[in-house]
Amino acid sequence: MPISRFVALLLCAWVVSVGMRGHGNPVLLEYPAYWPKPRYDFSKNPLTREGIALGRFLFYDTALSRDSTVSCANCHLSFTAFTHVDHALSHGIEDRIGRRNSPALMNLAWAEQFMWDGAVNHLDMQALAPIAHATEMDHALEGVLQRLKQSPAYAARFEAAFGDGGITGERFLKALSQFELTLVSGNAKYDRVRMGTEQFTEQEQNGYRLFQANCAYCHVEPLFTHFGYEQNGLPLDTALMDFGRMSVTQNPADALKFKVPTLRNIEFSYPYMHDGRFPKLRDVMNHYTQTTALDRQVVLTPNEKVDLIAFLHTLTDRAFLFNPEFSFPRK
Amino acid sequence: MKTFDDLVFVALTWCPVLLTAQSGVSSGFVLHVQPFFQQQQVRLNEPMRTAAGDTLVLHMLRFYLCDFTFLNKGEVVFEEREGRHLVDLESENTQSLAFSHPAHRPFDAMAFTLGIDSATNVSGAMGGDLDPTKGMYWTWQSGYVNFKAEGFYEKCPTRQGAFQFHLGGYMPPFPAVRRIQIAATPGKNQQLQLDLTPFVDQVNWAKKHSIMSPGAETVRLSNVLATSFRLHAD
Repeated sequence: MPISRFVALLLCAWVVSVGMRGHGNPVLLEYPAYWPKPRYDFSKNPLTREGIALGRFLFYDTALSRDSTVSCANCHLSFTAFTHVDHALSHGIEDRIGRRNSPALMNLAWAEQFMWDGAVNHLDMQALAPIAHATEMDHALEGVLQRLKQSPAYAARFEAAFGDGGITGERFLKALSQFELTLVSGNAKYDRVRMGTEQFTEQEQNGYRLFQANCAYCHVEPLFTHFGYEQNGLPLDTALMDFGRMSVTQNPADALKFKVPTLRNIEFSYPYMHDGRFPKLRDVMNHYTQTTALDRQVVLTPNEKVDLIAFLHTLTDRAFLFNPEFSFPRK
Repeated sequence: MKTFDDLVFVALTWCPVLLTAQSGVSSGFVLHVQPFFQQQQVRLNEPMRTAAGDTLVLHMLRFYLCDFTFLNKGEVVFEEREGRHLVDLESENTQSLAFSHPAHRPFDAMAFTLGIDSATNVSGAMGGDLDPTKGMYWTWQSGYVNFKAEGFYEKCPTRQGAFQFHLGGYMPPFPAVRRIQIAATPGKNQQLQLDLTPFVDQVNWAKKHSIMSPGAETVRLSNVLATSFRLHAD
């Protein structure tokens, strides 16, 4: 083969391979071997070190909000399971109060619908909702990108992540997704027990038995959610008038159904429920044992409630909560 | 072995060229898209008259036309691959759609989709005409707006006669995307005309002058739009 043809062939192969893998240094998502495969289609947004770094900067950047006071991290703090701890209802710019509790962010690669009512159908598109919502960031994506385009630092970061400094809505959203996809929490005591490297205490083991008998139908292991929507007996808050899933499907049968959240890191993600009405885990236990709206009555003694909470604490993943790679990025 | 090398060489070196010819703009065929109202060309911010003599002004008109197929005697003679065209009357160049369909190959019908299909709606962030910065993506509930018309109508019982119709939705029971097939006549210049007269006539102005979400009324008006296209050749 003539050398010119060999060079041309190599060039074509390089072009094809770059086109397939995208730009930057590839990163593989790590998760426990016993977990199911992620549902996110990484072929459309391959993880790269540079893309993740860009997404992390964006996640912590207040430029996303209209008055540059609020970032994603304001309602999703890394060390509290990426939720707005101590706030029943999250607040956005100008202290505007929303009508829902900010969901904890973790293991998002396994979810296909987002928000408490599942109104968002893809992780890439999720950020559009809080950016545009009047009680959150009250901004427009076009305005956000205009700000980013004025920053030489962002031009360099987009170039590192995508091959050139072009700042588009697609790239912005995919970079945010890349960072959020890395928020994998799979190193709790529960995981280590599952993998045979630790053992539950007697109390935790009893709590696990109670969990399996009363909670596992909706909070399916190992991700502790079935990713669906349930009416869990909470009465309508007449001040908020939030009917949950019905607002998306317009089906009355979906009234007051909300997404089943993961229980991982629940020790740190208080307050609980879609409107944050329960500040403590014991309040949650009391709700489930007192409500008569469920198909099957949950019966727990006071001691069993304590044991169940002890098990839920084994879902705390401190390596995730205090991972320096998830915290505010140093310039 | 040399023959194999040559085959690999030819395949790899010509592959990008062939792909470009398929997906890029060629001199093959240009379709001009033109909305009409009461037989007059629609221009943004210019008063138009209804049959009753009332004034109507459009401030914004955008819609997606996708996946064009050209047919002749029922046979497909050209099929666009993942074509997503946002027609925006604020940008005149968006009204000219270029296809690599060979100009000499005749067709007697054309099919296309008004709006964005459900698979695309659940595929995450995309670029080009599908970039969310184009103002055609619902933020509070995922999904593309297929058709957006905003303006003033003096019979509209709202503040300053303002109306907004954002028609979209891909999920049952209210999918608003429509596949449309229309007949073509021979001619060098083909114009795809959208007659907005039936749409304006079918709106219940007294009750529903703003639509911002999927629903039964969105479906009804999408059906009206789906029968309002025609091809004009000269």
